[in-house]
Amino acid sequence: MDISGKYFKAYIDRQEALKKQYNPKQAAKQHLKGKLTAHERINLLFDSGTFEEIDAFVTPAPMPVEFGKIDVTYGDGVIVGHGKINGRLVFAYAQDFTVMGGSLGLVHSKKITKIQEMALKMGSPIIGLMDSGGARIQEGVASLSGYASIFHNIIQSSGIIPQISVIMGPAAGGAVYSPALTDFVFMVSLTSYMFVTGPNVVKEVLNEDVTSEELGGAEVHARKSGVANMIYDDEENTILALKKFLSYLPSNNVENPPIVAENVLVPDVNEKLRDIVPDDPNKAYDVRDVINLVVDRNSFFETSELFGASLVTGFARLKGKTTGVVANQPKVLAGVLDIDSSVKGARFIRFCDAFNIPILTFEDVPGFLPGVDQEHAGIIRHGAKLLYAYSEATVPKITIILRKAYGGAFIVMNSKFLGGDYSFAWPSAEIAVMGPDGAVAILYRKELAESENPVELKKELVKKYRDKVANPFIADESGYIDEVIDPAITRKKVISAFEALNNKWVKVPARKHGNMPL
Amino acid sequence: MTNDKLQIKKLYALSSENRKFSFSLPLKQTIRIGKRNYEVKLKADEKFGAYILWKNRKYPVEIVHSRQNKYEILFNDISYTFTVETPFSLQRMKVLKSRKGGAEKAYVKAPMPGKIIDVMAREGSNVLRGEAVVILEAMKMQNEIVSPANGTIIKVSCRPNTNVMKDDLLVEIKL
Amino acid sequence: MKIKRILIANRGEIAVRIMKTARLMKIETVAVKTVVEPNAMYLASADVIYDNTENTAEIPVFLDIEKLIAIALETKANAIHPGYGFLAENAYFAQKCIDNKIIFIGPSPDAIYKMGNKTIARRIALAHRIPMAMGSEGNIANEEEAVITAEKIGYPVIIKAASGGGGRGMRIVRKSEDMEKMFIIASKEAEKAFNDPSVFIEKYIENPKHIEFQILGDTKGNVIHLGERECSIQRKHQKLLEEAPSVALDKRLRKKMGDMAVEIAKAVDYYSAGTVEFLLDSDKNFYFMEMNTRIQVEHPVTEIVTGIDLIEQQIRIANGEELKYKQEDIKLSGWAIECRINAEDVQAGFAPDPGKIVNLSMPTDPCVRVDTGVQVGSSIVASYDSMIAKLIVKGKDRREALKNCKMALDKVWIKGTKTTLPFFRMLVRHQKFQDGDFTTAFIEKDLEKYYYNSEYEEMLAAWLATKLFVEENLDDSNTKIDYKHGKEMSPWLLNKRMNQF
Repeated sequence: MDISGKYFKAYIDRQEALKKQYNPKQAAKQHLKGKLTAHERINLLFDSGTFEEIDAFVTPAPMPVEFGKIDVTYGDGVIVGHGKINGRLVFAYAQDFTVMGGSLGLVHSKKITKIQEMALKMGSPIIGLMDSGGARIQEGVASLSGYASIFHNIIQSSGIIPQISVIMGPAAGGAVYSPALTDFVFMVSLTSYMFVTGPNVVKEVLNEDVTSEELGGAEVHARKSGVANMIYDDEENTILALKKFLSYLPSNNVENPPIVAENVLVPDVNEKLRDIVPDDPNKAYDVRDVINLVVDRNSFFETSELFGASLVTGFARLKGKTTGVVANQPKVLAGVLDIDSSVKGARFIRFCDAFNIPILTFEDVPGFLPGVDQEHAGIIRHGAKLLYAYSEATVPKITIILRKAYGGAFIVMNSKFLGGDYSFAWPSAEIAVMGPDGAVAILYRKELAESENPVELKKELVKKYRDKVANPFIADESGYIDEVIDPAITRKKVISAFEALNNKWVKVPARKHGNMPL
Repeated sequence: MTNDKLQIKKLYALSSENRKFSFSLPLKQTIRIGKRNYEVKLKADEKFGAYILWKNRKYPVEIVHSRQNKYEILFNDISYTFTVETPFSLQRMKVLKSRKGGAEKAYVKAPMPGKIIDVMAREGSNVLRGEAVVILEAMKMQNEIVSPANGTIIKVSCRPNTNVMKDDLLVEIKL
Repeated sequence: MKIKRILIANRGEIAVRIMKTARLMKIETVAVKTVVEPNAMYLASADVIYDNTENTAEIPVFLDIEKLIAIALETKANAIHPGYGFLAENAYFAQKCIDNKIIFIGPSPDAIYKMGNKTIARRIALAHRIPMAMGSEGNIANEEEAVITAEKIGYPVIIKAASGGGGRGMRIVRKSEDMEKMFIIASKEAEKAFNDPSVFIEKYIENPKHIEFQILGDTKGNVIHLGERECSIQRKHQKLLEEAPSVALDKRLRKKMGDMAVEIAKAVDYYSAGTVEFLLDSDKNFYFMEMNTRIQVEHPVTEIVTGIDLIEQQIRIANGEELKYKQEDIKLSGWAIECRINAEDVQAGFAPDPGKIVNLSMPTDPCVRVDTGVQVGSSIVASYDSMIAKLIVKGKDRREALKNCKMALDKVWIKGTKTTLPFFRMLVRHQKFQDGDFTTAFIEKDLEKYYYNSEYEEMLAAWLATKLFVEENLDDSNTKIDYKHGKEMSPWLLNKRMNQF
């Protein structure tokens, strides 16, 4: 073909037109808000030179009825394509707020569904960088159907390929269901928000004054609603963190996650582990100190840090292999399970199960959070979710009981008879129906009432209870746990247990799906 | 096809007292003081652990905590907290600061009734999100109550050895 | 030697210190093992260990008079050394020892009692015309009397507890309108701290230096002083750094104050080691404050400049021996500085930072002496004190001592807790401190920040943070993520997964 001929020239002209559309003036609009452009985000996310854009030149669909202006631009406000992230094929779409406010029209949605279908066919993860004003009003029902198709695809791919949403701008109305349906949601502080009904309508209908940030900012979703799993102060760090996060995940539900060999070798035996749990059962400690000494150095990536904080969840590595970690956090609410933490744990466990990621559980839980609030809000139902998730999971599951393991919470936290594979306990473990104070008060009520010195007697009985009833050796000797171990060798034990469980396979019952409490 | 390249050429380490240290990339193993370049090395020793070697002196160093771009470092017995920023994120910080209408104050409330054991918050001092400000004893355990945001403590409304009810205001923070 | 075996009713560095001298004197020692620190360093140096770990009584054993006497009798110790703190200044304990024919290594119960009660001590000082801050004759009965007395003395005044110190029951009053209120607050606080609401009032001397004199006396009535210690570097009435001698004293003043110290000690027939505390104002007027009837934490600096082992002297005196030194034999030579290295976080207002000593390295230069009760693996427990070690440095004069101190501080390395090291590193570089220009108000008034970091340290830490960020986020980490081996799995598993649905 003649490079100076008209065919090639037409091609070059069109390339130039696209460049002109994405000019620095457009970019400045985003920058002035402290936001990056869609292209910049893509560039930061993907390894340089690996991103292949698809459908860059599509234009908005013509509407049967013209109502409101539609800019004729290339791309229809979203960039879709695939590339390599840290050397692995990943599909992504990034909404472009500078083009018609990133609003979703028919063509926009078709681009997204196209990339979703490709991701599912290739068995590769898909990431959505959301920054959109919502449905394009001018396109009416076509926009809404566009959303529906996107949601449908997410659901069809759910549990087959990892799907991650990154909220980098507004996401309102119907648009919020994408992130709600995907596996993990990253969100940028202060310049993004999510809500079903915005402040204007809230003001109109309820006469309540509330800002977008107060209604659905990153802080709110990370802390109160639990919709956002990871939030960061700026866009670059959000994307950099996402890249790190991806390295823990497999590409699909058949493959294993990549191995990231240890940078600095962690000793298999570490006496520091003995010092973490205080002897005084009323003293708190940070369970993350335990986690960090057991898993590969610096490999613990916490999810939903601010939500349901009495339970810690996240991914870590053991000798390079991804492991899901679930741990009660004595520092928060004494480590009790409440509605938020039960739900958080359940979703995390189900993700691990769907993607063949083994689960390591650290247990120190005195029970469920008491109170009218919790009961009336359905702690029964929500607690059951955690129970269901643990039992349903067929990945290798190991539990280490660090200290308290009382009653229902003991059962729920992956106990052996709930389907746990290995249950280890530290010598500081206390496994019982209820804590010593409660038990003594009930069993010896009469004696305490009649005693001359009830305080002394109670102290004595509590000590006896701790020594004789709640100590882990009883559970060990009766086979309810597998072994009481020296905290110093926890890492060694856990690694060899997971090695033994490497090829674990359990057939799931033949059913469409269970009826999980929701 | 793209024509926006996000090349990061410089990084800034921002201390908790808002002091800024800039480093150009690629990061060199030397630091320039006046006209001379001095070598700085991060090494590890069997006995000492990690240390920085600078001008022939060993400074013991420990990374106490890190999350994405926030690092808490114990350097020669002094704790420092830095966030590492790019030129764009610094610009973003300026934009957000000048923006009006955001929440200006954060309130730390008691999440449940209990007894205040320790109050670490001091009026006038800076606090980072996640930093413990009060220790509350409840459910027979000591709970760390942390700051929900970065800011300055403007009011401490609780004292050690007093009881508080759920939602009692403990600390007020200016963002 | 009558004393054959000493029960040490204490723990930590002073227990180690006492055992060191006892060993040199070939006297056996008994230490008490507690449940709080069953592996403490002091236990290793004792000849006999009494295992008290089974005892779960509320009161710590070192405050339990009955128990301690019982332990001494059981372990056949015929002497008890109380160290400092705990029961060291408890006259009842001293008496109980005597009643049980156990030699109490300290002064007489009578001297302890008299000097322990501030109002009695003041009365005695007054009777011997020892210069004192003008104050109330006895305890103040009520608010009205407080106001009248204060008016007589002249503001500013300080309200002090009769039965104890350490800042509790203490209030400075500058205006008469505040007097009533402060009196009530101080009394209440004194009652809470010492079970005795009695307070007295003294003229408050602004920004004095705190100078104390080491006393040694024997049972034959001989009393000498071993020079002064400069203890003005204090924070909230807790001493942080002490020196011997003090820049503020010349030979004449030393003799004057020393003679006064001896006189007040003789007034209560004092024997054993003791310390007389004075305040020195900017005009070099000195005022008697109180007498401490025990060996003090900072005794090493006196030992270094006098060459006398004070613990040995205490034991000999308790043994009934006559003091072999006369006042003219005491010569002060050189200079000594002691830094109390505590497990406290200077950046958090000296808040205690309990933890475990993971690693420790102290300088071993000949000019350095380290007194410690802590070793690698020791836990600094909140229920005792936060002391890690005393770093004592000497020099031929103050300049050399400061130079050596700076060098020694830079060599100390402690891993496991935050310590007061950065504070001392700052202090030895502070111009005013170097010039000797400081009073007890120094820390509160003259310091802009409480710790030292050279201008480069923060920058180096910043460089490190940046380096970590680059490594974790911007370095091409493709090569480190192994997809190939990640995907590998046994055919067994792969087969099952492929055919599962």
